[in-house]
Amino acid sequence: MSEIQNPPVDRGQIERALARHKDRMKLYLSHCMHCTLCAESCFMYMSRDKDPQYMPSYKVINSVGVLYRKGPGIGRDDLQKMKGIVWRNCVLCTRCYCPVGVDVPAMIAFARGVLRSQGIHPDFDEQGAMESWL
Amino acid sequence: MIVASRKSLDEILGLLGSCKKVLVLGCGGCTSICLAGGQREVRDLCAELDARVRDHGGGLTLHELTIERQCNETFFADADALVKDYEAVLSTACGAGVQFVAERHPALPVLPALNTAFVGFDKGVGWYEENCRTCGDCVLGETGGICPVTRCAKSLFNGPCGGTRSEGTCEVDKTVPCAWFEIHKRLKGQGRLALITKVRPAREWENQTRRSVIQEPYKARYAKP
Amino acid sequence: MGALYAFASGPGVYLAFALFLAGLVVQGLRFYKLTRAKDPLALPPPPAGVVPPASPPARGAGAKKPLLDRLLAAAEAMGRPFDRILGTLCRTVAATHPVMTMLTVTFHALLFATPILLLAHNVLLAESAGFHLPSLPDSVADVMTVLFLLCGAAFLYRRVFLRRVRAITTPYDHFVLVVTLLPFFTGFLAYHQIGEYRTMIALHVVSGEAMLVLVPFTRLGHALFFFLYRFLLDGEYSFGQGRRAF
Repeated sequence: MSEIQNPPVDRGQIERALARHKDRMKLYLSHCMHCTLCAESCFMYMSRDKDPQYMPSYKVINSVGVLYRKGPGIGRDDLQKMKGIVWRNCVLCTRCYCPVGVDVPAMIAFARGVLRSQGIHPDFDEQGAMESWL
Repeated sequence: MIVASRKSLDEILGLLGSCKKVLVLGCGGCTSICLAGGQREVRDLCAELDARVRDHGGGLTLHELTIERQCNETFFADADALVKDYEAVLSTACGAGVQFVAERHPALPVLPALNTAFVGFDKGVGWYEENCRTCGDCVLGETGGICPVTRCAKSLFNGPCGGTRSEGTCEVDKTVPCAWFEIHKRLKGQGRLALITKVRPAREWENQTRRSVIQEPYKARYAKP
Repeated sequence: MGALYAFASGPGVYLAFALFLAGLVVQGLRFYKLTRAKDPLALPPPPAGVVPPASPPARGAGAKKPLLDRLLAAAEAMGRPFDRILGTLCRTVAATHPVMTMLTVTFHALLFATPILLLAHNVLLAESAGFHLPSLPDSVADVMTVLFLLCGAAFLYRRVFLRRVRAITTPYDHFVLVVTLLPFFTGFLAYHQIGEYRTMIALHVVSGEAMLVLVPFTRLGHALFFFLYRFLLDGEYSFGQGRRAF
């Protein structure tokens, strides 16, 4: 069971996953001006005392941004941290505003896909509720 | 949320027929949250299918992929790239998702692994209850937030049928509370009982034809001469 | 410094503009290659009644709208453009961040207007190319430059002091801001003969060219991609109709 729960990062798999939309994701990452004007469009940001970690930009920088910065050598602990960012801190309601036009939901969906390729995904049952990422 | 439950393994195997190479497409939306068609359910389903087919000496190549939603093309890039390598797609989305995939890939059999049940909410982990029939003309504002369409066995709009039992349950099933008894109780508690006397004329049931919704700001965009 | 100035103010100008334009073209083509054409009007027409808005079916007796409602609707239909513009603005970031919106609109407008309408630049343009654009008096351009630098300073203030902005600020953000402000700052100093003029004007020319060259392939690329993303791609906030999609 623990093997299924915590296998090492599959380098080949993650490399393929990262390559798939690399150009688009890197364009988006490079064109995020870090201006934080997206913040108020996120209902989670608004309903959680305007905690910066719920800003759409914060979420993509710390998921997709980290994925490309660390590349296939990324550790499983990094991916676990990301799980909280892209599933707990974001419900993918796809309503984020970006003045430049960065497609934040597409980036979150991409990060989720990369995590899924490593067997990391949320569980909505008791087991999931007890997990530390929640 | 849309709630669904999985079909039996036999039924799914029947749907697969002679297909040997199948993409099992999970949905990260509603069916994932109601524990019917998320990534883990896809994994379990594949394991079960695999075991069953092997028991019978057959061969079945299954590829698991869960995408975030199957009702919006934004999330389809990865699935679209894979689909061509398979003889069929087994989708664990709701009925809308299955049809969306089928429309995208009309040459391919797209099969449902789930039965879409209803729109409802969570009673507890793994327990869901129907609350909305998506009738298209909401009366909850006048019925104390209790839906007579969903909760009355006869979907009555103007008070109970007369079959309410003395303990406030339904004549059809005594374990089911009478919707109109509940509505009365709720409205009375809120001091809004007058609402119950309002007569609601016969409805234009819209669910006879396929419905569309275009939000106000987008109407101009889709209007055609 | 002399040699650098000679290069920067001579072939450097052409080189910088060539790299700037070529970079924009390359990035534009890259965007087109990465995306596919999409015809939003190729969708089958929506069923009758969905568009144009169908009025809700009248319910019961006396479902006719009250007179006041109808009068209001008529007034609305006649169009009150100012209200409509205001109403639209209220639903945008201008309402959530009025100060930042004013800052950024001013900043971007001045970023383009000041150098293009500067008298000195147009004199150079006339001397080398034989034509020039309309120019502003130096005093006006001066005020514009100071305003621009103040907007930049406000951005810096946000980066350093606002928790939410600091949470995602990297050294690269500061670099990009400096790259943008430097040509204006050095130009201002050079014009007012503050510091050594020859050094300052050389720095001005070099930093201006550096900015141009850096635009297409850095974060400044939003100058181009803003239009590609928000006018060509579809979305809730798109100004266009979604003619292309990734």
